[in-house]
Amino acid sequence: MWRYIVRRVFVQGIPVLLGFTFLLYLVITIAPGSPVTHLRGVPNIDEETIARREAQLGLNDSFPVQYAKWLGRVLKGDLGLSFDSSRRPVADLIMERMPATILLSLCSIILAWVIGIPVGILSARYQYSALDYAVTFFAFVGISIPSFFFGLLLLYVFALKLDVLPAGGFFMAGEARTFLGYVKYLLLPSITLGLSDIAGIARYMRSSLLEVLGHDFLRTARAKGLGENIVVYKHALRNALLPILTLMGFTIPFIFSGAVIVENIFAWPGLGSLAIQAVSERNYPVIMGINLMFAVLIFIGNLIADISYAVADPRIRYE
Amino acid sequence: MRKLLAVVLLCLILSAVAVAQEPVQGGTFRFALTTNPRGMFNPILYTEQYDSYIIDLVYDGLIYIDEQLQPQPRLAKGWEISEDGLSITFFLHERVKFHDGVEVTAEDVEFTYKTMLHPEYTGVRYGSFKLLVGAEEYHNGERDDVPGIEVIDDYTIKFTITEPYAPLVTQFGYGVLPKHLLGDIPVGELEQAEFNRHPIGAGPFKFVEFMTDQHVILQANDDYFLGRPNIDQVVFQRVAFDALPIYIRQQRVDYAEISPDNYAEVSGIPGVDLYIYEELSYNYICFNLRQPRFADPVVRQAITYGFDRETYVEVLREGFGIVANAPIPMASWAFTSEGINEYPYNPELAAQMLADAGWKPGAGGILEKDDMRLEFEFLVPEGSRVTEQMALLFQQNMADIGIKVNLVFMEFSAAVDRVDAREFDTFTMGWSLTVDPDPHGIWHSTSPWNDPGFYHDRSDELIEMGRRETDPEKRKEIYAEWQRIINYELPTMFLSYGVTVAAVNERVQGINTEPGPLGPLGGLQRLSQIWIQD
Repeated sequence: MWRYIVRRVFVQGIPVLLGFTFLLYLVITIAPGSPVTHLRGVPNIDEETIARREAQLGLNDSFPVQYAKWLGRVLKGDLGLSFDSSRRPVADLIMERMPATILLSLCSIILAWVIGIPVGILSARYQYSALDYAVTFFAFVGISIPSFFFGLLLLYVFALKLDVLPAGGFFMAGEARTFLGYVKYLLLPSITLGLSDIAGIARYMRSSLLEVLGHDFLRTARAKGLGENIVVYKHALRNALLPILTLMGFTIPFIFSGAVIVENIFAWPGLGSLAIQAVSERNYPVIMGINLMFAVLIFIGNLIADISYAVADPRIRYE
Repeated sequence: MRKLLAVVLLCLILSAVAVAQEPVQGGTFRFALTTNPRGMFNPILYTEQYDSYIIDLVYDGLIYIDEQLQPQPRLAKGWEISEDGLSITFFLHERVKFHDGVEVTAEDVEFTYKTMLHPEYTGVRYGSFKLLVGAEEYHNGERDDVPGIEVIDDYTIKFTITEPYAPLVTQFGYGVLPKHLLGDIPVGELEQAEFNRHPIGAGPFKFVEFMTDQHVILQANDDYFLGRPNIDQVVFQRVAFDALPIYIRQQRVDYAEISPDNYAEVSGIPGVDLYIYEELSYNYICFNLRQPRFADPVVRQAITYGFDRETYVEVLREGFGIVANAPIPMASWAFTSEGINEYPYNPELAAQMLADAGWKPGAGGILEKDDMRLEFEFLVPEGSRVTEQMALLFQQNMADIGIKVNLVFMEFSAAVDRVDAREFDTFTMGWSLTVDPDPHGIWHSTSPWNDPGFYHDRSDELIEMGRRETDPEKRKEIYAEWQRIINYELPTMFLSYGVTVAAVNERVQGINTEPGPLGPLGGLQRLSQIWIQD
């Protein structure tokens, strides 16, 4: 097992991350637009000042030099300074916002699993019932509806019309940080972010369980006279959960990329608005920093999924 | 009983009115921001407008700009300009203190301005002060002092420039930095100073807290030299753009600037007043005069006659804007309508002008002359629904007079790249302008932002004269003539002057209810006088 993990990290993970950062840096530097574009708006600015700024940001270097310098710094644990006027360390910008993004992502993942799995099980257990059809219908709606639209819909209903939940944000200035407060501010964004996963997981759970239920060993179990509940919940479920674990690994990247959009709708103080701002301003170090971090998290997520796969299924052993 | 109630109510109303005259102490003023500040709360290093809100309240400058856009004394009691217009002496108030209790002196003023000239200065404001005597040599590292900045005593400082420059006074609004806190930091490392995130100035409000992407809290400065503000606290609350109308409706913010697109959503909310005011800005369609087909002013004029700008402003912008015909907005003191052609929509005249100039329909009915053809690309930055609709209207209107416009929608930054490389036929963008109308930065033929490629001797001459002329009346005449030239030449077609909508909760008293270009809060100047009437 340990040998497997080491191999995954060093033989697969690091080369993939290197390749990814290289391609990303290439793409963002050849994309049109420049990190100094926004300086156009500064009154009385002269070309010399802009040229100095470009030199200061290292924009006069060719792509390979820029990338090598960036990589050299990253290997030393330094993500560089942001290109915007605050010139703050990218690591600080990320660390300040990371907890909020992780909190939101975790909540929506938990929500997706806590709702998605039982709904999927019930839907399979009572296949072709009214409940099953309802779940299928809502699952398709949930997968199809764009998150920004769903988010606005929730804002309209719960914040404007019913006025029971805040219209985004994360605690007003001076507001006490109570547990109830967290729930209040987290509810709408995590539902928005988790919706397509709730739907996806419910559908996967349903089909996975149905597939297992058709197997011979379950027919044997039933023939032995076991009750249907024991057959489903004890024997079938454990087998059916296996593919769902892989799904967990796959959903992590979607949760993070979804968070970028959802955070913007709800003014959530996470990485989302930083990421979008960085892209529109061509803030290379911030774009690189955020993506590198997401890439690492996704890699870890997949690794955990693979390992938990082995834990759940005694037949799978990584050597 | 009912009558009694009515009397009681009347009394209550009367007393409310009576109280409203008298400023109330205390309370929190909540200002909605849809974009979070960056946390560069340093007047000589910031570039984002959202940071400037905090800076304007935490720091005071030598002068401030009033609601008539005129410079007024602030930390300076007054100033004196020499006969030749080359030097300006500021006389500072005595016993004014920074928030840490240290007195503000001319040394701090010198430090603030000299830093912007320093060879290692990382900000972008050197251009505004390079006219100071010795500034260029100092900036290039050729000398260690700046003779153009002279501390005469603790409360007197003199600035000298190399050539007369009319907008000079308006440049001295930069917040004065405390030298005793920053003087020992190498200039090149100033942008990394912790100070920038915990600023200390001499302004009406003290900095309390900046929560990334959430809010900024400021607190009234009890020892402010012009008197403590009435309100206790100012909170800049980050609000999602889409949720802004909800925040206004629920009265969770007191003040928000909203896009005219959201006007309908917020109008008619009880307890909230809307104010519409002109900004110092305009938008335009720029022609690339480097191309022979746009070289003749008649072509530019005909295109302008051929575009229904009234429909653009009245229908697409729903009336939020004023059709523009020259680059100085109505809100500026230098604006003139005298001798300005308004180019009312007239497609027949447009077609006639082009025909008279020798343009004839060629293949596909598109106008041609010699080897030139009036089929061109129109570069449109994405992101604004109204701008995209404007582009479609332009395309339609042009088709009516035999001109083919090919729309190219592009992300803003990418569009700017094309403009900077001069790889465009026409494009649309906008300019936000400074308080002083000096058009040098955008319109002088040597300016890096001379996007159309406009070279006109008389225009350059007038721009230079306007910079030198210190008599406001004469300056106004110079700019009037200059506007008439631009209005005739139309290097860019002017579309509209911008307007802003501010939503203000009625509990906020003491605002300007007939706002000029600085809005109901007069920039943010009025925050030290307003009060909250719950």
